[in-house]
This record gives sequence, C-alpha cells and structure tokens, in this order.
Amino acid sequence: MSTETRLSIPRPKTIGLYVTLYGAALLFIAPYLYMLSTSLKTEAFAFSQQPYWIPPEISFRWYEAILNGTPIMQWLINTLVIAGTTTILVVILDSMIAFSLTKLDWPGKRIVFGVIIASFMVPIYANMVPLYTIISDFGLLNSPLAVILPFSAIPIGVFLFTQFFKDLPDSVVEAAKIDGFSTFQIYLRIVLPLMKPAIAALSLYTFVYTWNQFLWPLIVLQGSSSFTLPVGIVTMQPTQVFQPGAEMAGTLIAAAPLFIVFLILQEQLVNAVQMQGTTG
Amino acid sequence: MASENTESVLQRLTQLGSVDSEARDGILFALPYLLVFSVFLLYPLLKGFYMSLFDWNAFNPSQSEFILFENYVRMVQDPAFFKAVRATVVFVVLTVPTLVGLGLALALGVNQDIKGKRFLRTVFFSPYVLTVSVVSLIWAGLYAPEYGPLNYYVGFLMSNPPSWLNSFTFAMPAVALATIWWTVGFNFVILLAARQGVPERLYEAARIDGASTWHAFKDITLPQMRSAIMFVTTVQLIASFQVFGQVFIMTNGGPGDSTQTLVMYLYRMAFRQQEFGYAAAIGYFLFFVLVSVSVINYKFIGGSDE
Repeated sequence: MSTETRLSIPRPKTIGLYVTLYGAALLFIAPYLYMLSTSLKTEAFAFSQQPYWIPPEISFRWYEAILNGTPIMQWLINTLVIAGTTTILVVILDSMIAFSLTKLDWPGKRIVFGVIIASFMVPIYANMVPLYTIISDFGLLNSPLAVILPFSAIPIGVFLFTQFFKDLPDSVVEAAKIDGFSTFQIYLRIVLPLMKPAIAALSLYTFVYTWNQFLWPLIVLQGSSSFTLPVGIVTMQPTQVFQPGAEMAGTLIAAAPLFIVFLILQEQLVNAVQMQGTTG
Repeated sequence: MASENTESVLQRLTQLGSVDSEARDGILFALPYLLVFSVFLLYPLLKGFYMSLFDWNAFNPSQSEFILFENYVRMVQDPAFFKAVRATVVFVVLTVPTLVGLGLALALGVNQDIKGKRFLRTVFFSPYVLTVSVVSLIWAGLYAPEYGPLNYYVGFLMSNPPSWLNSFTFAMPAVALATIWWTVGFNFVILLAARQGVPERLYEAARIDGASTWHAFKDITLPQMRSAIMFVTTVQLIASFQVFGQVFIMTNGGPGDSTQTLVMYLYRMAFRQQEFGYAAAIGYFLFFVLVSVSVINYKFIGGSDE
C-alpha cells in the first residue's frame, strides 16, 4: 500500500530534493550564461544595470575584435603544443618507469620508488624560484619546453601507473620472456596494449591539468607570442576602452576547446578523477 | 696464472651480464623519467634551500652574499609575510570546509533516486575543467559593481550593495565563492563514487532495525566514506594553501594587500622585487607547511584504515 502512495503522490521530501538539486544546478549554470550572453551583447546592453540573460540584440563584434585584435589563435596553438607534448612525454616516461618498477628487478628500485612517492608532496609553487633560475640557465625562458619539462616530471603519473601495472599478472610477462621477447618488446607489445584504459585516463587528466596551468606559464613565458590561453586572456586588450563583451568573448573562446572535450569524454574524465580518490 | 685470472674475471662478468640483463633493462627503463625528475624536481628542491641561505643576486648569481638563516629571520619579522599567512588561512577556512561539505551534500543528493542524475553530475562537475583565468574573469564580471548581475539582485535587498572585490570585508569571501563554484565538482565526483561503493545491505539492515535517516548517515555513510572524505580534505587543504590565480586576477591582492596570499607574496618577492633568496625561503616555508598537512592527515586521521 505504501508503495502505491509513493508512486502516485511525490512525497514532500522528494520535492524538496528536486528543488534543492535543480536550484543548485541553475546557480551553477548562471556564470556560463553570463559569459555567453555578455559576449553577444552590444555595448549598451553589456554595461546595463539590468542583467539581460538573453540579449535583446545579438552582436558578434566582440568575437571579431578578439580574433583580429589579439593573438588568441597563437595562444591556442601554444597551449595545444604544450599540453599535447607534456601528455605524450608523461605517458612515455611514466609508463616506462612504472613498468620497470613493477615488472623488473634491479638494485635500488625500492629506494627510487620511495623517493618518487615522497616527492608527491613537493608543491611546484614552493619550487618555483630555483626552478626559474634553472630554466633560465638552460636558456629556455619563453620556450614551450620551459612549461613542458617541469610538468613531465610530476610523480602522480608514476604512482597511478604503478597501481595499474601491479594488477597485470607477472605470468604474462614471464610467458613473453620464455617466448623470446626482449624487455622492450614486452613493454611495447604486451604491457602498453593491456594498459590502454590507464593510459587513456592519465592522458586525459594530464592534458586538462597542463592546459589549465596558470602560474608557471605566467612566470616563464614572458612575450605575448609565447603565451598560453590562460595567461593570454588575462592580459588581452582588444579594445581601447575596457569592454565586458570583448572580455567574455575571449574567455569563451579560451574555455570552449576543453569544454567540448569534456562534454564528449565526460565519462573518461570523471573516471580519471575518481581513480585518484580510490588509489589515493 | 695472471691470464687465467683475467679469463675467469671476464667469464664472471659476462655471466653477470646475462643474469643481470633484467637489472640493466630495469635501470634503462627508469632512466628517462629519473633524468627529468632529478633535473626539474629534486635539484630545484635542493637548490631552493641553498638559495634561501643567500642574499641572492638575481642578475648576477655569483655576486650573491652568503647570509646563513637571515632570510628566515627576516621572514618571521616581516609583517607583510604574516599578513599573507593570515590571508591564506582565511581563504583556507572559507573554502575547505565548504568545498568538502557541499561536495558531500551534492554527492548524497545526486545518489538519491532522482531523475536527471547524469545532467546534474555534468553541471556540478563541469567548472572543474575550466582554467583559473576563465573562472576569475567570469566571476569578476558577475561581481562588477556597475554592470554585474549580482548587484542588480542584491540591490533589491539593500540600497547600497558593496563593490565586492574592492571591499575589505567581502573581497576574500567573493574569491572563495568563485573558487567553490570552480572546484567543488572534484570533491563531488570522488565522494559520489565513494557513496556508490557503500554496500546497500548496510542501509537495509539499518532500516530493519528502525534507524532514522540521521543515524544511518552518522553510523553508516560517514564511517564508510571516511577515507574518501579525508582524501578530498587533504587535496583541498593543499590546493587552498597554494591559492594564486584567483586572487592575482580578481583582486591583485587588494584592497590594500588584504587578499595577498602566501604564493602571491612569494611571486611578488621573486618576480617583482627580484628577492630570489628571500622568496626561496618563503617557498621552503610553504613546502614544510604542505608536507606537514599531508603527513598529519595521513598519520593521525587518514591512512589508518587502509
């Protein structure tokens, strides 16, 4: 009997839950809506006291101003190069050492693993002054490598990969050895293909993380043409006088690529984040 | 005799070589990462401490003067440093409990039997993929005193709404709110996964025993999700201690340095004042604070049940 009542009349508690969650969702969406609508407003409406969530008049002039008046496409390419290269490097370097740490035996590997795990706690910001002098000594200031190299050494990937590689049965590696595979062949033909899900998750996580970096690129990339999107959009001045519409158009262009990736690969990205929680 | 000896040594070496080919390959596979790791993580860590013992000359390092712990002495006597510590602690207090609490509330809500779970998860998680500059510029617009939508609505409640980011009282809470919107999704998805991992039979048993919702929450949900809650708390503590982008972009530390956090002070000392030695000392201080936070969380609260 109680089931029937529950089916026909929603309980007040359920209604409260819906109102709370969807109300919160609305508040979460409002900033996006502000960005989108402001970027499409004419100057008068953008500066208006009244928030026009749906602009009465649509204009694309701020997008034109941004695309013509700032090197935003260059920033996009720089960001893509930096995030892409870092991701590839992290996958190669981290999977190699994780393979070595879990499937090969060599003197001192426990100490090496211990040092890497302990350095988990080293915040890159605490390191930024000495790191800057090192990058500067190498002559890498303004180069994409100045951002790529330090972020290729972050221990989290090693940690996550070793967690996954541990689950790969040693017998698989042993069998390949008996079949005459070299260590490199085992890594390339057996371990990597079996680890595709882990590689996909870590790649996605690393890509998003490096794409979004702000402070470090701000320090080592000093000329406008070498900026990444996150640094570039903060400094851009596409118009003589400050225009909220132009700023939001630039912001939207900067946010769009990764946001689209997120909408397509949402499951994988959520998994990549949740993975940290379960292995951490 | 001599040649015999050489021969046997050679033999042993080749034998050793074949036996230890695994060791050789192991080291070869570890080497590329270790190289990058040593140059860009370990070496800076050591060099940072070394630099902190000098009045470092940023333009001509060989002219740096060794001053032992004077940078650290200066730090504990520097009122601006303490102001930055205070601003950082305020930010941590404003964000961490809310981020964890709200993340938990959203996770428990979305875990209920409701329609549109996927939509809600997308909405709550999505800001996490934005970069800090996008978040800061959007929220600076929302807070804008003249044309920002927030003050349009607040204007109905009070005649003179504050100009949020220029206010000594409201600048930091405003930055904190933007941060909560930005990163609560991270906690939300991790806590949602943890909640989904709690066996349903525990709740069924509690229901049979006539336990109230509150008791089920207190006696089942919280203990079962303990390690996930500790994990997100640690991650948030570390992230909030290092806050930079939001304050740098939204307030530039103002008004009157009231939102100048530690990393921002470090950034200014290093890259505006060229005080590399002093900034390195502040970096080391930050390093020890964060390591302590992790260790304390792990030792005394977290890791005991795993």
